[in-house]
Amino acid sequence: MKEKGKTVVSIGVVLITFCIAFVLISRLLQPKYMTDLEEGSFISQYYREAGGHDVIFLGDCEVYANFSPMELYRNNGITAYIRGTPQQLVWMSYYVAEETFRYESPRVLVFNVNAMRYSEPVSEAYNRLTIDQMRWSGSKVGIITASMTEEEQFLSYVFPILRYHSRFDKLTQEDFSYLFQVRDNTFSGYQLHTEVVPEGTFPVKKALPDYQFGDICYEYLDKIRLLCEENGTELVLVKAPSLYPYWYDEYDEQIREYAAEYGLAFYNLAERSEEIGLDYTKDTYDGGYHLNLFGAVKLSQYFGDILTEEHGVADHRQDPKIAPAYDKKLQVYDETIEERMRVEDNEENK
Amino acid sequence: MMINFLILIVGLVVYAGYGISVLYLSAVTLLSYLVGRLIPRHRFIMWISVAFLILPLLFLRVQQWLPWRSIIAPIGISYFTLQIIAYHVDLYRGKYEPEKNLLRFGLFVTYLPHIFIGPIESYPRMRAALEERRVNGDDFLKGAVRAMWGSFKKLVIAARIGMIVSAISAEPERFNGAFALAAMLLYAIQLYADFSGGIDIVLGVSRMFGIRMSENFDAPYFSQSVQEFWHRWHITLGSWLREYVYFPLGGSRKGRLRKYFNIIVTFLVSGLWHGAGFLLWGLMHGVFVAFGEKLKTKNRTLNRIVTFLLVSFLWSFFIWPEPTTILRMLGSVFTVFNYNVLFAEISGMGLTAGDWVVLGGSCLLLGLYDWKSSKLKTRFCSFPPAAKLGTICLLALTVLTFGMYGFGFTASEFIYSRF
Repeated sequence: MKEKGKTVVSIGVVLITFCIAFVLISRLLQPKYMTDLEEGSFISQYYREAGGHDVIFLGDCEVYANFSPMELYRNNGITAYIRGTPQQLVWMSYYVAEETFRYESPRVLVFNVNAMRYSEPVSEAYNRLTIDQMRWSGSKVGIITASMTEEEQFLSYVFPILRYHSRFDKLTQEDFSYLFQVRDNTFSGYQLHTEVVPEGTFPVKKALPDYQFGDICYEYLDKIRLLCEENGTELVLVKAPSLYPYWYDEYDEQIREYAAEYGLAFYNLAERSEEIGLDYTKDTYDGGYHLNLFGAVKLSQYFGDILTEEHGVADHRQDPKIAPAYDKKLQVYDETIEERMRVEDNEENK
Repeated sequence: MMINFLILIVGLVVYAGYGISVLYLSAVTLLSYLVGRLIPRHRFIMWISVAFLILPLLFLRVQQWLPWRSIIAPIGISYFTLQIIAYHVDLYRGKYEPEKNLLRFGLFVTYLPHIFIGPIESYPRMRAALEERRVNGDDFLKGAVRAMWGSFKKLVIAARIGMIVSAISAEPERFNGAFALAAMLLYAIQLYADFSGGIDIVLGVSRMFGIRMSENFDAPYFSQSVQEFWHRWHITLGSWLREYVYFPLGGSRKGRLRKYFNIIVTFLVSGLWHGAGFLLWGLMHGVFVAFGEKLKTKNRTLNRIVTFLLVSFLWSFFIWPEPTTILRMLGSVFTVFNYNVLFAEISGMGLTAGDWVVLGGSCLLLGLYDWKSSKLKTRFCSFPPAAKLGTICLLALTVLTFGMYGFGFTASEFIYSRF
């Protein structure tokens, strides 16, 4: 009997050791997205700040590069968070929204409609950037199932070692340093870019054979709309400023029709560039695809006023429960900008 | 009985996933069962049965010489056909009574784990394995470690080497000489790791469920002659050929010349079993088996090296599909001296430096295991359950981390499942 008990305990110890080793190895091999492809860690940074936001932004790179929640707070006292990820497709936005509503019910949900043009998953790599670091929930199961390309397997999301085992000889210091905890590299979801790369050249704008948005995009846009209705959140549609890829009038028309049908606000901010004061010789960090800090400041000021005036989003700058934490965040944000500018100036002077 | 029925049904369902081959397998199983019942009373039926069983296999093997090539071989046809032929011939010889239970016979033919790559079991052996089936913790652990070891060989070693061999064999005009030699030597290891790894998985999984099947390998690359090699490589095919081809031809009972003739014919059959393009391969093995003993020296290490080189050279029939290419590549080993660029080129064929380190270490481990396998097995058997489980866990983590599988890899098919 004693011998049997000893055997059971030994087996238990072996199994627990195996589980710990399995988790550690899996975690070690999984990309940390800290310096290379840092956008892959955006989705997980939300969990540390989840709750208490009046505005949540959803969408692709056009949201996390173009809108700055810190500027929204500075100018309008708006508490906002950007849950944007690279190539976030409409069904991804739906599941990210679904997950967000588990943590909070914002007053306004801003959805960037650029993704409406994509009806199919783009690539496994993009899927990973949005999904890998998401917490497990029904939303994660849903986003995986909806986004997987043909060659992907659900199990590889459950057990990342099945996908990333070939990284065993590509591990860097970063993989060990951020084994358990990744650091924030955004400001409430905003990716700070202070570089200036003026407007570049783009392919000639050609007529497309078909401008119709896919059924699946409408299906998930409907789901986002219904989700917002259920949670008492106002859905606001935007098209963030960008020179490329081209946003066609036919696209715009479809969104306007949809917004009119369901009584939603839609702002094509790309066509208001002049009004916003955007100067693509200075306000972009990659030749016109995305705005840099200077562009994001202008856009956030402009859109912050819209949110305040037309959607009644509250000003929390005098709220003793909120203001101290945001003021602190704003200070760090400003210091980071200052530091970045100084580094860039030094590099230029060299 | 219930478990056997479940194994049969699950096997057929999984097999059905490979397409309509399941209809052929089911029909052959049912007809073979009925024919088997008739053979003791109508012995001539055996000849008809063997002819009907061999014809589709023969057709598949020679179809590359026919003007049309549209027939896709049912998965595992080579393995279950040989098993059924052996069963009918044994009934004809009166070795045992025909099986009355269709379920048991069906399981003998369609037992899933071995239908793809063997081993080729005799009916009495398989029946005993199924009847003596007993599931216990110790067998489960021993089976699991064997299956893990097989996965290690397949995914860590064979899959890595496969990338290099595929890259070399894809461009025979560019990669000849030293590359051809490297491909032959590497393929020898790849094929062994792949095939024996698959067999380890089959035997391991079977043992986990209390079914003990025949061994198919016994450290073949430690053989001192080609004859010995064939006693240690694909053992169950060798036994089948001895029992149902070599002995009926007269074996060694009818004089030395007839013995050589019988050996060569047996190996020609072996070649044909692999495919029409392997006849020359079979012939050459037959010649080495018949006369190879004369090449043996007193130096055992030298014998092993010579045998390994001979066998590796003959694996070239498996690497390049065209006979002219094979001969050209074999010739280039001695005539094209591009050994100076071998390492520079081969390092750019898809494996990273880390992969080479893993491959080198794994091959060393495989060699050491084969060298000391009986001692290691005895040692492992004496381990307490927790240590056995620890070995399984360690192997599992190694395979999961260093295996080549999943997204971006296509090393899922076993080489011998195509025969």
